[in-house]
Amino acid sequence: MKIIKKYIPLAIVFIFGMITLASYYVPHRTSEEYLEWINRWENIVSAFALFLGMISLFYVHYKKIERKVDGWGYSLFVYIGFLIIMVAAMISHGDISKGGKVTCLGWTFNNIYNPLSATMFSVLAFFIISTAYRAFRIKSTSAFMLFLAGLILMLGNIPLGEIIWDKLFSWTHITIAEIKNWIINVPSTAGKRGIMIGIAIGAAVTSLKIIFGIERGYMGKD
Amino acid sequence: MKETLNKMLKIDRRWLFLLLTFAIIIPILKPIGIPSKSTSDAVKDIYDFIDKLPPGSTIILSLDYDPSTAPELHPQAAVVLKHAFKKNLKVIIMTFLAGSGGLIDELVRTIPTKYSKEYGRDYVLLPYMPNILAALTQMSSNIYAFYEKDIDGKPLREYEMMKNIQSYKDIACVVDITGTAILDYWVAYVGDKYKVPILGGVTAISQVGYGPYLQKKQLKGLIGGMKGAAEYERLISEVGKGTSGIDALNIAHILVIVFIIFSNIVLLILKFL
Repeated sequence: MKIIKKYIPLAIVFIFGMITLASYYVPHRTSEEYLEWINRWENIVSAFALFLGMISLFYVHYKKIERKVDGWGYSLFVYIGFLIIMVAAMISHGDISKGGKVTCLGWTFNNIYNPLSATMFSVLAFFIISTAYRAFRIKSTSAFMLFLAGLILMLGNIPLGEIIWDKLFSWTHITIAEIKNWIINVPSTAGKRGIMIGIAIGAAVTSLKIIFGIERGYMGKD
Repeated sequence: MKETLNKMLKIDRRWLFLLLTFAIIIPILKPIGIPSKSTSDAVKDIYDFIDKLPPGSTIILSLDYDPSTAPELHPQAAVVLKHAFKKNLKVIIMTFLAGSGGLIDELVRTIPTKYSKEYGRDYVLLPYMPNILAALTQMSSNIYAFYEKDIDGKPLREYEMMKNIQSYKDIACVVDITGTAILDYWVAYVGDKYKVPILGGVTAISQVGYGPYLQKKQLKGLIGGMKGAAEYERLISEVGKGTSGIDALNIAHILVIVFIIFSNIVLLILKFL
C-alpha cells in the first residue's frame, strides 16, 4: 500500500518533472514532440481537476444547506446559478452569438454575469474611499512618503491632475508626468525587480523540492 | 469644536459612499470634457509599433480579461483592434480566460463591420484554451497542433488569412490585454524565448509593476488603465469609452485625495486642541 500511496506518485513526479525540465532546454524535435504529448495530457488532467473542483464546491454548499448554517440561503444560489447557465449553454450549444444574434447563453453573460462581476469589483472603490478617509493616517515619515508617492501617481494618472499641477507648480518647469515616470522607472522598478527575482528563485526552489520529493504537500495528509 | 471634529472623523461611511456615487454618476451623465494634455511614452511606443507594421501583417490579440476589469481593459482592446483594422493588419484573436468570451463577442459584433472587415479574411477567433503554457510553447512550432479549429469548429487552416501562418515566425507581434499575470507568461515564454515583439495593456494599478519589462524592452509598449486607452484613442483620432470614462475617473481620484488630506488636517487640528 505504501508503494502505491507514496513511492509511485514520487516516482511519477520525479521522472516527468526531470524530463519536462530537460525538454525546455533541448532544442531537438523529440523534445518538442514530448512537450506536445505532455501538454495534451495536462489538458486531460485539468479537465478532471475542474470536474473534481465542481463536485467539491457542490458538496460544501450542500452541507451548508443540510445543516442550515447562517447564510445557507446563499448556498442555494450556487445551484440556481449553475443550473441557469448550464441550461442556457445547452440550449445555445455553447455559442454566445450565432449569425450576428445574441443567443440565450450570450444574454445570460451580458445581463447576469457581466453586471454582477463588474459590481463585485466596483464595491472595492467604495471600500477604498472609506479607508482613505477613516484609516489613512499620516503619523510617520514613511507614511508621508507613501502618501506623497500615491498623490503624485494619482495626479499623474488623470488629466485634471496635470491641470492642477500646472496651475500650482508650473514655476518648477517639471511636469507631473515626468515625476510620475521617474517614480515608476527608478524606485518602483528597483523594488519590483527585487521582488520578481525573489519570487523566481522561490518558485525554482519550490519546484525542485517538489520534483525531488522533499515537498510532498500535494500527496495529502497520509 | 473638538466634538464636531471628532464626529467628522467618525462620519457614517454611507455618506462617503453616496458622495462617491454622485461623483461618478454626474460626469457620466453630463460629460465635462476635461482635455488630456500628455501622452505617456509607453502608449506612444505601442502606437508607433503597430502603426509601422506593413499592411497585411498578422498580429495576435490575446484578450484575457473578464467583466470585473472590463471598464479599464475593454476600451484598450477596442482601440487596438480599431488601429489594427485601420492599418489593414490581420488579427488572430484568442483568450486564455473563460470569462472573456462575451466581451470578445461584443467587440467582434461591432468593430469589424465599421471597417468593412470580413471574418476569415481579416480576422479569426480562436477558442478558449485553459492550458496557457502548453498553448504558448506549442505555437512556437505549429499553431495548428493546439488550434486545429476556430471558435465555430471550422478548420483553421482553411481561412484565407491563415494560409501563410504556421508559427510565431509568421507573426509580427503579440498584443496582450489582461488584468491577470498572463502578460508575464507572454513575455517569458514567447517574447524572450522566441524573440516575438510583445505589447501589453493592463489595469492602471498593474502598470507600475511592468517598469522592469519596459526598461529592458522586453515589452515594446504598454497601455495603462483607462487613461492609457484615452491617450491611444486620441492618437488614432477616435473617441471611445476610454475618453468618455475619464471624467468620472478624474472626479473620483480628486475625491480620494481630498478625503485623505481633509481627514489628516482634522487630525492635526485635534492634536493641538
